[in-house]
Amino acid sequence: MEQNGLKELTKLTVHGVVADPNTETQIVILRDERTAQVLPIWVGPAEGLAIQQAMDDTPTKRPMSHDLLCSMMEHLSLAVSRVVVTDVKNNMYFASVHLTSQGTERTVDARPSDAIALALRTNSPIFVTANVLQQRGGNSLDTWLEQLGTKSTSAGE
Amino acid sequence: MIAQMKVRGLMFDPYNNTFIVILRDEENADMLPIWVGKPEANSINFALEDVTTPRPMTHDLMKAVLDAVDAKVISVVISDLKENTYYAKVHLTYEDSEYSIDARPSDAIALALRTKAPIFANEEVIRKQASDELDQWLENLKPEDFGKSEI
Repeated sequence: MEQNGLKELTKLTVHGVVADPNTETQIVILRDERTAQVLPIWVGPAEGLAIQQAMDDTPTKRPMSHDLLCSMMEHLSLAVSRVVVTDVKNNMYFASVHLTSQGTERTVDARPSDAIALALRTNSPIFVTANVLQQRGGNSLDTWLEQLGTKSTSAGE
Repeated sequence: MIAQMKVRGLMFDPYNNTFIVILRDEENADMLPIWVGKPEANSINFALEDVTTPRPMTHDLMKAVLDAVDAKVISVVISDLKENTYYAKVHLTYEDSEYSIDARPSDAIALALRTKAPIFANEEVIRKQASDELDQWLENLKPEDFGKSEI
């Protein structure tokens, strides 16, 4: 748990992106490094690739969509202070991107995949609310893996 | 010289399994076909058809970030064509300054459609574009290849 207004938030790192063998989608594995608790988020193939490229530091010939977003933000001196996975409703995850510009903070609604792709490119921390973690009900990776066959239990965005 | 272009349609290219954004100038004299990937085509299609998605797509997020600080997209320009790759620039204004940012045409077009910014193409790019090749390709197309996203 973080202090100073960030209480109730847990910092997560992107552990990896794996292909879901049952669908064409990708799964972003977020992990709390202290408890090893895992939060899997299903994302589309393009979004999975955008996250994988940021993790691998893959240079692309042309700026990809999130590179353009970063480039615009750099030009405008906008910084990402953090991204937060804020909610999960009807199997859909919600996230917000916190921007700072000249000392003022603004929050923008985003899909977790975009928020994560942006956080990795800007070296910004990724947090999740206690509420979202609770809803994942302390799933360990093992129980989660067992559920892989039943897509109805999974949440996408 | 630059020419203002409008997005005239989006087609599926069954041979390359990609999509083509068709840009035409105001007089419908010049055409610029730009091959784009599936996610980019989807994003352009959503904007063309005014589809509101339950969650913001990547280009909606771009617009939201710009809106949050009152930055405006003045225009996007398809600026160059080198080795079969198109280049584009996104022109922004923010606090009385102008910025020109390198982008892929697909991102630039998806953003322009969402921000109602005009799309331009360098006339040199239109000249460079190998129209022979396109004509040949169009001849091979069957009517059913033209999807409903054509506008």
